[in-house]
Amino acid sequence: MSLSWTGILPLAVVLSSLVPGLLIFTLREDQQQLRTFLNLLGAVIKLVLVALMLYGVSQGAVFRFEFPFLPEAGILLHGDALSLQFVSLSSVLWLATTVYAIGYLEGAALKSRFFGYFSLCVSATVGLALAGNLVTFLLFYELLTLATFPLVVHTGTPEALRAGRVYLAYTLGGGALALMGIALLHSIGGTESFTTGGYLAPLMAEHSASLMLAFGLLVAGFGVKAALIPLHGWLPMAMVAPAPVSALLHAVAVVKAGVFGLVRLVYNVYGVDVMDALHLNDPLLWVASATIIYGSLRALTQTNLKKRLAYSTVSQVSYIAFGVGLLGPLAAAGALAHLVHQGLMKVTLFYCAGAFAQTLGVHRVQEMNGLGKRMPATMAAFTVCALGMIGIPPMAGFISKWYLGLGALQVNKEWGLAVLVISALLNAAYFLPLIYRGWFSAPGKEGWPAEKTFQTRLTRLPESHWMLVVPCLFTAMLSLLAGLFAASDLSPLAWGLLIVDREFQP
Amino acid sequence: MNFALVSLSIPLFTGLLLLMIPRYGGPWVVLSSTLSLAAAVASLVEVVDSGNQAVLLGGWPELLAIRLHLEPINALLLAFTALIQLLVSLYWSRNCRNDGFWALASLLHATLAALWLSGDLFNWYVTLELLSLVSVSMVALAGKDSIKPALNYLFLSLLASLCYLLGVAIIYGRYGVLDFQILSRMTVGDTSTAMAMLLMTLGLMVKGALWPLHLWLPPAHSRAPTAVSALLSALVVKGPLFILTLLWTRMAPMELTDKGGEFLAVMGVFALLVGGWCSFRTPLLKEMVAYSTVAQLGYVMLALGLMLQWQLRETLVALWLFVLAHGLAKTSMFLAAGEMQRIFGNKRVTALRGASQTAPVAMFAFAVAGGSLIGLPPSGGFLAKWLLLEPLFYDLQRWPLAFAVLLSTLVSAAYVFRIVTLAFDRAERGQAPSRDRVSEWLALLPALLVWGMALVSEPLILWLTRVAQ
Repeated sequence: MSLSWTGILPLAVVLSSLVPGLLIFTLREDQQQLRTFLNLLGAVIKLVLVALMLYGVSQGAVFRFEFPFLPEAGILLHGDALSLQFVSLSSVLWLATTVYAIGYLEGAALKSRFFGYFSLCVSATVGLALAGNLVTFLLFYELLTLATFPLVVHTGTPEALRAGRVYLAYTLGGGALALMGIALLHSIGGTESFTTGGYLAPLMAEHSASLMLAFGLLVAGFGVKAALIPLHGWLPMAMVAPAPVSALLHAVAVVKAGVFGLVRLVYNVYGVDVMDALHLNDPLLWVASATIIYGSLRALTQTNLKKRLAYSTVSQVSYIAFGVGLLGPLAAAGALAHLVHQGLMKVTLFYCAGAFAQTLGVHRVQEMNGLGKRMPATMAAFTVCALGMIGIPPMAGFISKWYLGLGALQVNKEWGLAVLVISALLNAAYFLPLIYRGWFSAPGKEGWPAEKTFQTRLTRLPESHWMLVVPCLFTAMLSLLAGLFAASDLSPLAWGLLIVDREFQP
Repeated sequence: MNFALVSLSIPLFTGLLLLMIPRYGGPWVVLSSTLSLAAAVASLVEVVDSGNQAVLLGGWPELLAIRLHLEPINALLLAFTALIQLLVSLYWSRNCRNDGFWALASLLHATLAALWLSGDLFNWYVTLELLSLVSVSMVALAGKDSIKPALNYLFLSLLASLCYLLGVAIIYGRYGVLDFQILSRMTVGDTSTAMAMLLMTLGLMVKGALWPLHLWLPPAHSRAPTAVSALLSALVVKGPLFILTLLWTRMAPMELTDKGGEFLAVMGVFALLVGGWCSFRTPLLKEMVAYSTVAQLGYVMLALGLMLQWQLRETLVALWLFVLAHGLAKTSMFLAAGEMQRIFGNKRVTALRGASQTAPVAMFAFAVAGGSLIGLPPSGGFLAKWLLLEPLFYDLQRWPLAFAVLLSTLVSAAYVFRIVTLAFDRAERGQAPSRDRVSEWLALLPALLVWGMALVSEPLILWLTRVAQ
């Protein structure tokens, strides 16, 4: 264990939310200001540390924190280009979601518990992003389940408890499958750190059956959180959680953890060559394509706004799995860019949905008529991101879909293009009516379902609490910028291309 | 060796003293377990430094004298016993309303220490008898409700002792020796040895509540006072298990280990699944924890069975890790369950509705301990499960067992999270119940220790691998 700053920094990134989280648990309900201070302090420190790490990686520094855990499988936190993409996304969105959650939960009970688990959840996500081998990944993968469960059941209604049970059944089952896969790989080839091009190629001659079984187990294990069909059932149910939790679950923490696991598995454990030789990518591709279409179809029929967004997540997250399964460099770049793009857009959509629900009591699609007049800024953010989701140029979603399409052509899988086009049409079919209702329909005569006035006059914007509106605008702006400046060096796409560059030309 | 004897005698004399003067039991027992813990740690350091040791009591020659011997594993168990005693007595000295407990707890500690240090079939019989008598009296401390389970426990225990004794008698008739280290060089796979092994195994299985001979355990452990439940689950069932392990790994002739191993492994799988299912179904909180003990002992049987059937040395390390992790986790879980039972004044699982709001620390302790029982990383339970799983993948024949372990993980997750989910219910309760914060934190302490095992996991596993072979 080295004590240099490059060795400590990955640990510090994890601890910067873990320690405030544990402190928050000990606070009384009425220590509002201290709790807010700790939350924001942790989020800001994490951002600074991540920025430092990004700078370090660009200068060629290596960030490794090692700690002995199991024999021949220690804990390894490792900041490489791929992990930093995910870490940066989570730290930025954590800050935004913290601000949002403070506004959203104003006046609610049990806030210390909520924010405590909220911080633990982000710590687990960041740990998972920085994990340098499968055992470390598994550790944070399971911790993420434990940290998110209390958030899913936070409201404590019978419905929330039922969703919590389903969530646990899926995710713990997935975790157990992943454990089996990881133990199987460990027993045949040891646990090595994630490397460019994978480390399993030498085992292929002797253990191809075991490798295939392990891949199946791991894809099933990670597929639960990534909501691949038929393992997606928990996700729409988990919508009973408060909006900041849904936002975090969908955009950053849980589904992304699953997909990120798939990315690591394909590129850094098995490697493109082994995947190709064992024909492991085709089943993954089929499942991902089926999920893309199925999620969109189900989203069409949902009348509850959050449920519609949930099925949209099922569909959109599979784009990443789809891009990974294509095994081509361009598709990979598209997938990695989509990891960030989808995160920014989906988090905004959930913020907006939460702001509508919290301010006006709007939960159902039919109730959205005329929202654009009452909450123009929020509705504008919603529109930008919904158009992005459909993939209208020059929004962020267009960029990733463009690269995914090129990637499909590059590896001669033209039918992939058809999947993308059908999905885009379906996306338009379920998002455009919302936009139309918001801007062009007249509001219902009986007024809003439950309009709420916020206690603190000072912090009010004309449409709602500023803490609900500003995060929407912030993330919507980021997603807009990610699309408009996709060609610049700082965009998620550029970073994705950088990763792919390293991945495909070792 | 002297340190080990000190570690044994301190609780023995404390117990005898408290029998005569039953006053200020709590502080005395806390003090005596602290001292005993220190002595046990010193003996552990000593045995690691200078190798195995033995002493013949009373200056008698070998074969006649009572022979106590000290190996790293025994020293580890000695320290572990003292630690659990200390944790439980710290907790119970805040809650105890019964002075009888303290003398019995000290005697229990001394008996267990004697059991770890003995190395002779007849001495083990004596310590087993003592252990059962002390445990039965401790179960009966809870009053009228616990008389019937205590009596059941007593009768089954006596039957088991007779079974074991008969086995010992056959061995003595066949070989004329009772010292098990000498026996381990002599045994051959003939019918009388097989018969003796069978009888002793059955007796030990009843005493250790190994499935399907566990029926006395759930009522006894769930009706006993909280601290007694914790001690019984964390320590007492481990005594017979320790003897069983030594008998099979060191003394059983090669011809028998294969069959014995298969039997134990299959019983282990059943214990995990059936015990876990019962734990999931029971409406009573402490009974749920007690059934979970039955289930978790299945891991130990499975590890022992695998070790015998396939000569997998790694699983022996898993076995000792299970013993340690389960002991700590179960202590925490019983203390937390007892604490919540006291807070809510109700024995049923459904009383825990909303416990995460009304008794957060106790509920947290329960959940954290449960995480180790499920085997979530990086808890002690995970370390043991990992070591158990790994050799299972080497051979295609053993894969079904690996999937049995997977299934049992899910079953244990089901019974733990049944409770945890209930605790997040926001159902309105009457007035806020009175909590004792110190007790809640003391209940949490062992659970934190079992997760803290992750910090020393690699050296611990490597050390156990060295000494277990």
